[in-house]
Amino acid sequence: MRSSSNMSDHSGLTYTQALNNYLQLKEFPARELDMDEQQLLNTFHPDYRSETITTLNVGPNKGERCHTQLAELLQADSRIDASDLAGVRIEETDVLVIGGGGAGCAAALTAAESGARVILATKLRLGDSNTIMAEGGIQASVQKQDTLQAHYNDTWKAGYKLADKTLVKQLVTDGPETIRWLIQQGMQFDLDSAGDLLTRRAGGTSASRVVHFRDYTGLEMMRVLRESVYNHAAIEVRNYAPAVELLSNESGHCAGAILSSLEDSHFLQIKARTVIIATGGIGRLHLNDFPTSNHFGATGDGLVLAYRLGARLRDLDSFQYHPTGVAYPVHLSGTLITEGLRSAGAYIINAQGQRFVDELKPRDIVAAAIIRECREGRGVAEQDFRGVWLDTAGLENRNPGILQQRFPKLVQLGLKSRIDIRKHPMLIYPTLHYQNGGVIIDKNGQSTVPGLYCVGEVSGGIHGRNRLMGNALLEIISFGRKAGADAARQRQNRGHKKITLDHISRLRRELMQNHMPMQFSSPLLFPDYTRRAEADDDPEQPDHPGMFDL
Amino acid sequence: MNTVFKNHVLLHPNSLGNNLSNWLSSYGGSGLIKALQQPEAIIPLLKEAGLRGLGGSGFPTWKKWQAVAQQGSDTDKYLICNGNEDEPGTFKDAYLMSRSPNQVIEGALISAVANGTNRIVFYINPEQDKALASMREAVVQWQASELLQRTEAVTGKSIEFQVMASSGHYIGGEETAAIESVEGKFPFPRGKPPYPAQSGVNGCPTLVNNIETLANIPHLLRNGAHWFQKLGKGLSSGTKLYCLSGDVLYPGVYELPMGTPLSELIYIHGGGMLLEKKLKAVFTGGVSSTILTPKDLDVPLDFDSVRIRGSSLGTGAMIVVSEGTGIVRQVTEYVNFYAHSSCGQCPSCKTGTYYISQLLNRIDTGQAGNQDLDTLINLCAILPGSGRCHLLDGAIKIVDSSLFHFKDEYQHSLSHSFNSKAKTEL
Repeated sequence: MRSSSNMSDHSGLTYTQALNNYLQLKEFPARELDMDEQQLLNTFHPDYRSETITTLNVGPNKGERCHTQLAELLQADSRIDASDLAGVRIEETDVLVIGGGGAGCAAALTAAESGARVILATKLRLGDSNTIMAEGGIQASVQKQDTLQAHYNDTWKAGYKLADKTLVKQLVTDGPETIRWLIQQGMQFDLDSAGDLLTRRAGGTSASRVVHFRDYTGLEMMRVLRESVYNHAAIEVRNYAPAVELLSNESGHCAGAILSSLEDSHFLQIKARTVIIATGGIGRLHLNDFPTSNHFGATGDGLVLAYRLGARLRDLDSFQYHPTGVAYPVHLSGTLITEGLRSAGAYIINAQGQRFVDELKPRDIVAAAIIRECREGRGVAEQDFRGVWLDTAGLENRNPGILQQRFPKLVQLGLKSRIDIRKHPMLIYPTLHYQNGGVIIDKNGQSTVPGLYCVGEVSGGIHGRNRLMGNALLEIISFGRKAGADAARQRQNRGHKKITLDHISRLRRELMQNHMPMQFSSPLLFPDYTRRAEADDDPEQPDHPGMFDL
Repeated sequence: MNTVFKNHVLLHPNSLGNNLSNWLSSYGGSGLIKALQQPEAIIPLLKEAGLRGLGGSGFPTWKKWQAVAQQGSDTDKYLICNGNEDEPGTFKDAYLMSRSPNQVIEGALISAVANGTNRIVFYINPEQDKALASMREAVVQWQASELLQRTEAVTGKSIEFQVMASSGHYIGGEETAAIESVEGKFPFPRGKPPYPAQSGVNGCPTLVNNIETLANIPHLLRNGAHWFQKLGKGLSSGTKLYCLSGDVLYPGVYELPMGTPLSELIYIHGGGMLLEKKLKAVFTGGVSSTILTPKDLDVPLDFDSVRIRGSSLGTGAMIVVSEGTGIVRQVTEYVNFYAHSSCGQCPSCKTGTYYISQLLNRIDTGQAGNQDLDTLINLCAILPGSGRCHLLDGAIKIVDSSLFHFKDEYQHSLSHSFNSKAKTEL
């Protein structure tokens, strides 16, 4: 494991010692938190490590803070040159959607329903995304005792009051309608005996508001969206066709993209009236050497494409580390364990058998608290993993049958690794989960570049600097649909007079003028595990994101 | 930088700024005052100085002025200050209007003195919000100025200003189309004659001048024809705003002596080629875009020298293209632009530009055969001159120019096309 070098720094108990401690105890006393939350974050949350933050030298966010690994991508050279376009096949459409997750599908469907011709291009296959990994559910204020205002307040507060108010307002007011739309598409939810939606409570919220389907809500959502997209005559799906560069017209509007077909290694130029980027986040950059819960394709491509075309980004130094990622068995390291377990009442316990944090605090606090336990020697520390317990067995004791009924996927996952989570706790450690920031958008999902929309995790501003469980699934559908509808409306505009790659010249010019190195190209497209492994072997070589040759 | 600086007239710090009193306390006013003292001397002075239309035509300005001045003074006369610029790679007029509107307005008032043009319309591309705002701001200051009253006293007519946003259509920059626009109609170009000097806006004599041309006039009157001639290199007069863009390190607007060599513009002022690639071609911007190649690097950038190389200076826009860029693709984009911009009035232009654009697309994407190239060449021979305005000619000229310099690239596309492969297999 790449993080092994960091681990020897910290002492702790072995897995067996800690398990024995756990098995001997019946009660798990809660330890008082002896520092305030801000101090906890400052000391232990990875976002607050100043050595991983740099200042951007080129582009619309010049002079602003950014994580170093992301900055390398944003300030890298383009993968293509004008010469690559000679003789390239050109196709035209009204709306080009880049990304085949939940946001991309929702946008494509809505645009197509509004009468636009749509091409949906995705790097891997339609549905290969983080959406399918979302377990917990969707927040929407649908219960009688809940209000939109409460949902707004929770989201606003969790984001440290730094979110864009207009976007939060739109997100929460669109919640119930979003659930209705999903049900119309055919999505199933867990219901009570009267047929009403069941909800559970997310960490950091004031009401039971998360509607869900088992512990694979996202998978169920994707199942339905994928079918709808494939069945829609006006949507053409291009699998294995990552976008490598956007195009602009004579006045800087986004005018399409260059796709690179992985199947025949050809470029393809798509001329589009509008482009919707829904490429997701950056987990596979493994920021700060953290494991990630993210899908293989989450390499921040959309951020790079949009930034080059002149879109402003925000909160590039703010990421969410989900408190409960699998720490053991090692081959599942980083895999997400739903917050739903903690909502249902599971405790987090250190190796000495103490509870040390309120499990329903916002994710960044819980994650920082877990990192602290491990760093201060109260966690499990082995050669290649570390962590604290998520007490699934205790939850099962208090509510017999709950795990099999509500978290069947997790039970199955445990059994595959020969761990019965109904009898044993799970070892967990925070995992790089979500990019809080991203492309600045308006309430239709449009970026600061006309004709360029960004929806889903690639966009920023909705969650401020910390996201609540269940708000991501709500965001992708709500903003995906808004962007799809608005993009379809814009097809009425006059077409583009001239299609250019001027923004690449602008980027190269800025890089040269600032004496920046230009040996790397982006977007990354695929995680660079082979390079990283080589870099680990060779201490001389700096650790950097590199180019994965197509 | 100082050596560059001394050539600056329009972009000299004394010329910049929106404040009228600042302008009047530096360069401003004296040109207009000289004009007021000797109205009849203005046109001969322009003739002696050799000022030419800087919007792309290079037509001697004094001839246009004289044609309007000779019209009877009993009716209104219009001056359209043309800032519609929408040609690819051209951004000098917007730059000028947003940064130094006063010299443009003073130039327009000198025209009022010389030609009796009492209705002055600033006709500006609607996408240039800054230029529009800055002109409006400056016009308000002039309307309250004492100089305007003196001008009205000398011309005997009250002078009205109008700042209007054009329709934003490329074709709206053509002078007769601009006249239609000012009349409130769609910018369809008119046939000539009658020439605008005889019958333009509402049938009144109308003078249409480019913004940059007008901006030169106060300086010319202030310093005299000899000074103006000396500003240029060789036989040319004055300075020129060159718009440098494309694959260079420092693109932008550069005010340089008229006749500055292309190499100096690219390699000294533009900082050289981006990524130090080789220069492949330079597309000159304007109604009739043409191509210059590396062997033309020594060409002095003035109207006549560039014309001798079979190209044209146009608006002074130089779009630099480096080795590796496909010329056919580049030309296709140009022709798409023309096809998109055709007003559709003349069938030959409406269908001709579209047809050429389709042919080029086919050739570029490897779907064309030899007969398509022949068709293209034939069209280039028969279409020119068949439209009312120069749009169609412009589209043909760029294709012609690229066929002349880069025919091998067209043939290369053909020999690699699917059609020709199919043929050889048969």
